[in-house]
Amino acid sequence: MTDAAALPRGRHGLSREAVTRSQRERLLDAAARVTAARGFEATTVADILAEAGVGRETFYQLFEDRRACILAAHQELLDDLVGHVRIAYEGPGEWADRCRATLRVLLEWFAADPPLGRFLLVEAAAVGPEFHAIFQAGFDRFVAVIDAGLDDDLPDPQPLPATSLAVGAAISRVYGEVAAGRTEHLPALLPQLTYETLVPFLGEAAAREAAYAGVGRAGKLSPRG
Amino acid sequence: MVTSCAEKTYAGTTIADVVSRATVSRTTFYKLFNDKRDCFDAAADLCVDRIAATVAAAAAGHESPAEATRRGAAAMLELLAGEPELALVLSGDAVGVDPGLVERYSDFTVPALEGLWERDGMPPPKHLSPGLACGRAQLLIFHQVTAGHPERLPSLLPDIVYLAIAPFAGHDEALRQARAAGAEVAT
Repeated sequence: MTDAAALPRGRHGLSREAVTRSQRERLLDAAARVTAARGFEATTVADILAEAGVGRETFYQLFEDRRACILAAHQELLDDLVGHVRIAYEGPGEWADRCRATLRVLLEWFAADPPLGRFLLVEAAAVGPEFHAIFQAGFDRFVAVIDAGLDDDLPDPQPLPATSLAVGAAISRVYGEVAAGRTEHLPALLPQLTYETLVPFLGEAAAREAAYAGVGRAGKLSPRG
Repeated sequence: MVTSCAEKTYAGTTIADVVSRATVSRTTFYKLFNDKRDCFDAAADLCVDRIAATVAAAAAGHESPAEATRRGAAAMLELLAGEPELALVLSGDAVGVDPGLVERYSDFTVPALEGLWERDGMPPPKHLSPGLACGRAQLLIFHQVTAGHPERLPSLLPDIVYLAIAPFAGHDEALRQARAAGAEVAT
């Protein structure tokens, strides 16, 4: 079905750009999914092309090689996650409530599409040493987002980098569940993870209150190793 | 295996690298290990054993669990600062090779810490999840090492002490111990 009036006329740059964009998106999505399923080492450009339904020539116009494509896919996913986290954290409400809302978004993001989460946290690590810098930069972005919205009247946690501990707690927990393939249970971890991340800022009693606000009985709180 | 992985990563390491560094023959290698992965796993276990022995030696003889934890943590960070390839293999490469390793460290560290706080056979209360704290400690160490700053590891002592103590003795005590550790680092 063609609607001539809605399409740019002739060999318009805009339409080529739009096509390229969608091909790039398909390739990035395919790179993430194939890598999640097969591991970095076993993933070939041919696999990515087959999954994306895009030609080899187009691939090499967009990416230097397999590694570049996989790293771009990683960057894209990370940007998406950071964006979601930022929106949740900058939302309305008390600071502790915003923290809980942020963690909810984080857990739901990973639960919504398990292969993409697995790619982002687990499989991409096999890319090699340059991944460490990428991981660290991603980590620092989360710390910066959280730091930017801290409440002035939080207790002074010196000498602890409380934000880094909180972000680290969230990432460690999500990593553990994703690596073990238990992604679908992530949203159920919200109260406990809220508690874990708030303790370095607030201490146990206040963190427990904030974490379990409006969630059943507080008696269920018994962290497990 | 350890030095080669630290230098060239696990993926970049060949069996030829390993045997030439170790000055053993390929035949000997295959008598001892099935393949590269088998050798790597054994090497990673050895690194863990060395760290465990260092921590245990430093913690021994200290009555208070908090004191023992602080001494143990300081000794671990100094060991890793002095031999960054241990940390590099364990935290960077090994996790890429085997994501389950993170959980294996916790399985090993948590009972050891728990044991310190056990009194008269009573299990210690858990204020925070020790497994999670262990994961956070690994992340902190991992970041310094992969960023190429193993010499800064000892400055992580307050954070590590907090993470090691908070699950068993609570936030307030852990913060107190972290401050004490911070004062020791500063001097």
